[in-house]
Amino acid sequence: MTTAARKPFNWRRWRLVVTGGTIVGTIMLLAILAPWVAPYSPFDLNVAQMLKGPSAAHLLGTDELGRDVLSRVIHAARLSMMVAVLASLVGLVFGTLIGTLAAYFGGIVDLVLMRLMEILFSFPAILLAIVLMASLGTSIFNAMIAIGIIFIPGFARLARATAESVLRQQYVEQARAIGMSHTRILVREILPNILAPLLVEAAVAFSYAVLLESALSFLGLGAQPPDPSWGNMLNTGRGFMGVAPWLSIVPGAAIFLTVLGFNMLGDGLRDAFDPQLRDE
Amino acid sequence: MRGLILSRLAAFALTLIVASSILFVAVNVVPGSAARSALGIDATPQALARFEAQHGLDRPLVVQYAEWLGKTFTGDFGKSFQNGVDVGPELLRRLPVTLELAIFAFIIANLIALPLGAFAAMRHQRAADKGISLLASLLGAVPNFWLATLLVMVLTLHFRLLPPGGYTPFTVNPVMNLKQMIMPALSLGIVSSALLIRIMRTAMIEVLSSDYIRTARAKGAKEGIVVMRHAIRNAMTPYVNVAAVEFGFLFGSVVVIEDIFLLPGIGSFVLVGIINRDYPVLLASALTITLVVLIINLIVDIVVGRLDPRRVTRHQ
Amino acid sequence: MSEFRPHAQGAARPALAIRDLTVDFQRRSGALRTVDKVSLDVWPKEIVGVIGESGSGKTMTALSAMRLLPHGARIGGAIALGGRDLVDIGESEMRALRGDRIALIPQDAMQSLNPTMRVGRQVGEPYEFHRKQSYGAIWSKVVELLRAVKIADPETRARDYPHQFSGGMQQRAMIAMGLALDPELIIADEPTTALDVTVQARILKLLRDIRDERGSAILFITHELGIVAELCDWVYVMKDGKVVEDGPVKRIFEAPKADYTRMLLEATPSIHRRKGAKR
Repeated sequence: MTTAARKPFNWRRWRLVVTGGTIVGTIMLLAILAPWVAPYSPFDLNVAQMLKGPSAAHLLGTDELGRDVLSRVIHAARLSMMVAVLASLVGLVFGTLIGTLAAYFGGIVDLVLMRLMEILFSFPAILLAIVLMASLGTSIFNAMIAIGIIFIPGFARLARATAESVLRQQYVEQARAIGMSHTRILVREILPNILAPLLVEAAVAFSYAVLLESALSFLGLGAQPPDPSWGNMLNTGRGFMGVAPWLSIVPGAAIFLTVLGFNMLGDGLRDAFDPQLRDE
Repeated sequence: MRGLILSRLAAFALTLIVASSILFVAVNVVPGSAARSALGIDATPQALARFEAQHGLDRPLVVQYAEWLGKTFTGDFGKSFQNGVDVGPELLRRLPVTLELAIFAFIIANLIALPLGAFAAMRHQRAADKGISLLASLLGAVPNFWLATLLVMVLTLHFRLLPPGGYTPFTVNPVMNLKQMIMPALSLGIVSSALLIRIMRTAMIEVLSSDYIRTARAKGAKEGIVVMRHAIRNAMTPYVNVAAVEFGFLFGSVVVIEDIFLLPGIGSFVLVGIINRDYPVLLASALTITLVVLIINLIVDIVVGRLDPRRVTRHQ
Repeated sequence: MSEFRPHAQGAARPALAIRDLTVDFQRRSGALRTVDKVSLDVWPKEIVGVIGESGSGKTMTALSAMRLLPHGARIGGAIALGGRDLVDIGESEMRALRGDRIALIPQDAMQSLNPTMRVGRQVGEPYEFHRKQSYGAIWSKVVELLRAVKIADPETRARDYPHQFSGGMQQRAMIAMGLALDPELIIADEPTTALDVTVQARILKLLRDIRDERGSAILFITHELGIVAELCDWVYVMKDGKVVEDGPVKRIFEAPKADYTRMLLEATPSIHRRKGAKR
């Protein structure tokens, strides 16, 4: 007989996580399985089927080259997810590194690093991304790097704040006292203890990455045609707004749903792990 | 008060210098591409070298940066690689367009956020609050360039109410100017209001549960006076801080919106600069946007100090 | 309970009469009762103490009389101000009474003053809300009030913001606000807790003077026996949302009936000594 009283699942506390997670999970799954679930190839031209509205054969219609919009949207999810994951990873890794080092060494290192982060933070994000694209060149890989760089200051701030509170704990003092190396302390004692809030932040970064990537692709600075991206589909769709409104509605709705899903997931996780809100 | 302003000014100057060098390095870190972009694919190596020498692009980056910074400081933004036109006067022509757009959008964002956020706080935990919070989450996920497209689809193509884009100076034809500005401003403003609604709501909830609000009620204040006179002023301090950051974000987003609505502002100038690899244009326009954002943050820092009497007198 | 109550003599009815008051909070786990069948009277010109530890329901009882309970609270029983029911009247009628006939002096003066509004304007608000008067007339009333609560240089200080006041002055400003329209009842909720002892003594004297000169009845909420002994005519002892005992202050200190009162007295040695008890 177990004595641990099992608390009933608290739906109110987890509803955002569950709803957001379901949306995100579905999109992730579609992205991964794109070649198998998409009804057509995203590149197959069919001049006879140009700009046809939604029908049984093409659920979300066809574009100006007769390509299946549904298939293109699903394949574009692949690209968006890839950019979101990798850009967040770039931000997470470098941000954590900078923030942790600043907190650990303090003094002038802290001052210089964090001042620099503040300044990077004061740039309007999309402007910085665009300027970075100028030097890196327009490609989806470079868009990912540029977005990743934009995320660094946010992660660095959070990592520094969390690492500082961890550094005040007894076991770090002890590790220092017994002469553990800097690297060992950072990796073994500090890193595991600051990861949770950073990962929650990553969910929010994901949604922002999706927005930024689609904005860059919309401007022609990200994914290049014929590769499908929600941003460049939307941009092409603008030219056919009157005759084929679905070309503008569908990719935008995809961005909207994805961003919404990640936001809900991020907010939900933050609330669920926030001890102040736990027992309202 | 003077100490506050001086320290803010010092921080501002430092930020500006570092920010300008970040921009410069970001644009120039990959060598050689400017000449090729300006002269075209078929240019001979000799022509490319001549172009680089002519524009000083063959010198060390540090030298180029120092020269650029020095010139920029005196108001000389250089000439466009593409057509040799002076960038400075062109910037001045474009700045009012972007400022009008951003301010118009910001006003819309606040007109949505202040009443909705305050109302949600007054109905905390009730249906209206939940509805407004949901609306804020939904709006926060809308890409502004999608909203812009949808607005054009509905207001221009369907109802034929507004022109699809273009720009007429306010001084030439105010009505036309507003007609052309309303959709770009709505696209930016509606999306920006999402965050501001949340901030206003949180700030008001905090203020409304404070003791001095109870005092006002204990004196027999009507609910309208409680909210308008006692609560909103105190909620403004946290709100203005976030609103300033949001204004910066909004000012950065003009690039996309100006492109969609064919507005000849700084944002579309950035795009001209990047597509043509016209570095003087790109650098000057990006720096202008950054400068405006920094100035706004500076002003707000000081204004927020005035909003809260506790901070003003501490520095007297 | 027929102890002699001097203030009840010759008065037609109590300034405040509370009968079987209950305050419940709706929680997800069920209703939480913070005030349980409390009855108490405050007669005209009387200073009545309500003593109890935190969580005894004393503040909730006081706030009930203002109908300023936190969100989600439910009131049961009857409350009457000068014979007039306060439980069932509409919000606008209640609002007309607040600050005019019944006033509140809260616990934490600093938190209770609006940080972004000049003190004078805040003190003048009861006039503004309840009497149609010109701005100038209100301002001279404000200066007069601040002088009455012994704030030096009231013309200048009225233009200050709350953070420019000391803790004692902030509490005086709150008192000025409370007595602005000469209410028949002032509810003082631990108004001296945040202050140091010398300032505390002066504030208590001020309250006594107000009662003597202006004739307002005072309901004084506190957890300190010393204050009750010094200030009050009559006292109610509360514990766990109930009144365990009430009576004239002298009798309560000399011959407490309830065990809880006795315990309270024993836990406060200085008063025992003052009253000449053992230990």
